[in-house]
Amino acid sequence: MAVSLRRGRLLSRALTGWTALVLVFLWVPLVFIVALSVAENASTLFPFEGVTLAHYRATLGDEELLRSVANSFSVATLAAVTATAVGVPGSVALVRYDFPLSGAFRVGVVLPMVVPGVVLGIGLLIYLRSVLDVAPGFAATVLTHAVYGLPFVVLLVSARLATFDESLEEAARDLGASPVEAFRDVTLPAVAPAVAAGFLFAWVRSFEEFVRAYFVSGTMDVLTTTMYAMLAYGTAPKLNVIATLVLLVLAVVLAVAMNVGDVVGAVTAGE
Amino acid sequence: MADADATATERSRKGLFDRLIASRRVRLAALLAPSGGLLAALLLAPLSFMVAVSFARVDSAYEIIWQPSAANYAALFDGTPFWTTPFVQSLSLSVVVATATTVVCLVAAYPVAYALARRERGRRIVVFLVLLPFFTMYLVRVYSWYLLFGDGGVLNDVAAVLGFGPVGAFDFGVPAIVVGLAHAQFPYMLLTLYAGIDAVDFDLVDAARDLGASRIEVFRDVLWPLTLPNVVAGSLFVFVPALGAFVAPQFLSGSTVLMVGQLIAGRVDSYNIASASAAATFVVVFVAVAFAVAVRYADMGVSAGGER
Repeated sequence: MAVSLRRGRLLSRALTGWTALVLVFLWVPLVFIVALSVAENASTLFPFEGVTLAHYRATLGDEELLRSVANSFSVATLAAVTATAVGVPGSVALVRYDFPLSGAFRVGVVLPMVVPGVVLGIGLLIYLRSVLDVAPGFAATVLTHAVYGLPFVVLLVSARLATFDESLEEAARDLGASPVEAFRDVTLPAVAPAVAAGFLFAWVRSFEEFVRAYFVSGTMDVLTTTMYAMLAYGTAPKLNVIATLVLLVLAVVLAVAMNVGDVVGAVTAGE
Repeated sequence: MADADATATERSRKGLFDRLIASRRVRLAALLAPSGGLLAALLLAPLSFMVAVSFARVDSAYEIIWQPSAANYAALFDGTPFWTTPFVQSLSLSVVVATATTVVCLVAAYPVAYALARRERGRRIVVFLVLLPFFTMYLVRVYSWYLLFGDGGVLNDVAAVLGFGPVGAFDFGVPAIVVGLAHAQFPYMLLTLYAGIDAVDFDLVDAARDLGASRIEVFRDVLWPLTLPNVVAGSLFVFVPALGAFVAPQFLSGSTVLMVGQLIAGRVDSYNIASASAAATFVVVFVAVAFAVAVRYADMGVSAGGER
């Protein structure tokens, strides 16, 4: 028994150690990016030649780059709004209703997250151009990213809905609320954290998405396509700056979100 | 009086019930239409169109010439022997890379997911620390791996300072690609596994332990089977995007190897749309088969959430 207890404690320590190791692995590139954003020589940390804010000045003075950031902002916001607006009703249908082909819908709604970006990108490129007569550009990118963001909204919201006690909404209905009122006033507040988390995920996925945008954005530059072009010419310091700034903003947003709403619960299925 | 009331209620309830059935259908249609429409118009239709184009010809002016033939597919395998063609080579390499990435993610994530599910303490901070890298721009993360790997990369510099190396595994190539992809796909695996382990009734585990099963036996006979659906779902979320990866191999292959995503993108860039469509269709069929096999084993459910 004592041996078993000791083994148990050993196992527990091993789990902690393993978790720490994995977190280190996940954070290595981030630390690297932040360090390089202020490094005199932005292509390597060794030898470290000193700290500078020159890259930040250069980045904030690069109007073309800032314009592509603004484009990415618009695309991500419109795409995430679209994904959320269509994803929330879809989640309700998925969780609350039995319908023919619901299994197919369940799989279909996850597919955009799984289908490789190259495949979806080329498929949408030729389809938008030849069938819908939509030239590659802003609208095409928003639509593409809306589809890409949909699974994140549906997965998070439907997981949350599944744990929500439907009888509460029925009670509101019995007390005279219309279906829309009952959903808006009873169910929606309960799943709001998941809706917010879904929106956040869809937004971030769009903002940092490259491959699909590479195919469908045409001559409009979003941040990632600009970055890719920059890497081709080897002017990389600004990438680290942008990534660091985005990281800081998202760290704050995520921290606030996790304290205000139950993001952990939303992300890890409504516990 | 009471009788009359009851009848009236009965009648109105019946009317309501009828209306409800009707309106339930209407409501369902209204709920499904937006997302169903979006998926049909921007996922199903483009992929179907891509399949159609893969059997057609596309001229240099981007004009599609509808003369159904399997020539584009034949060209993919046109070599002696057929596995020496760039397509088959790059697809095989992609399968190897995607498999390795999936294994790395699974092995790395399972213990972490277990710890997350079993311990209340520190859960929020771990989730925060997992999500933030996930939210960091993928292109930049891959770029930083690019600076870390390679002959003059930071990893080899560190190895040199420590007195060993240069280490072959730190060169550009398959190991670097696997690291970059595993870093990108890890959270999908972790969150899917967490949902599965969290849903396990740990009384079963305790019972098995009380009855004398070792920890290894408990894992093999209780925990693993119960979480297998999530293992399969998580593996799909890692394997399929890794199979078609473009950015990671573009930066981390050191131009020594070509993955199928790069091959497809390259053919689009050189206006070889029909050939790219055929290659992409082949990959999609590959993905679909993987999905079909996986769905047999796992109830995909509301996957990242894990339906209870």
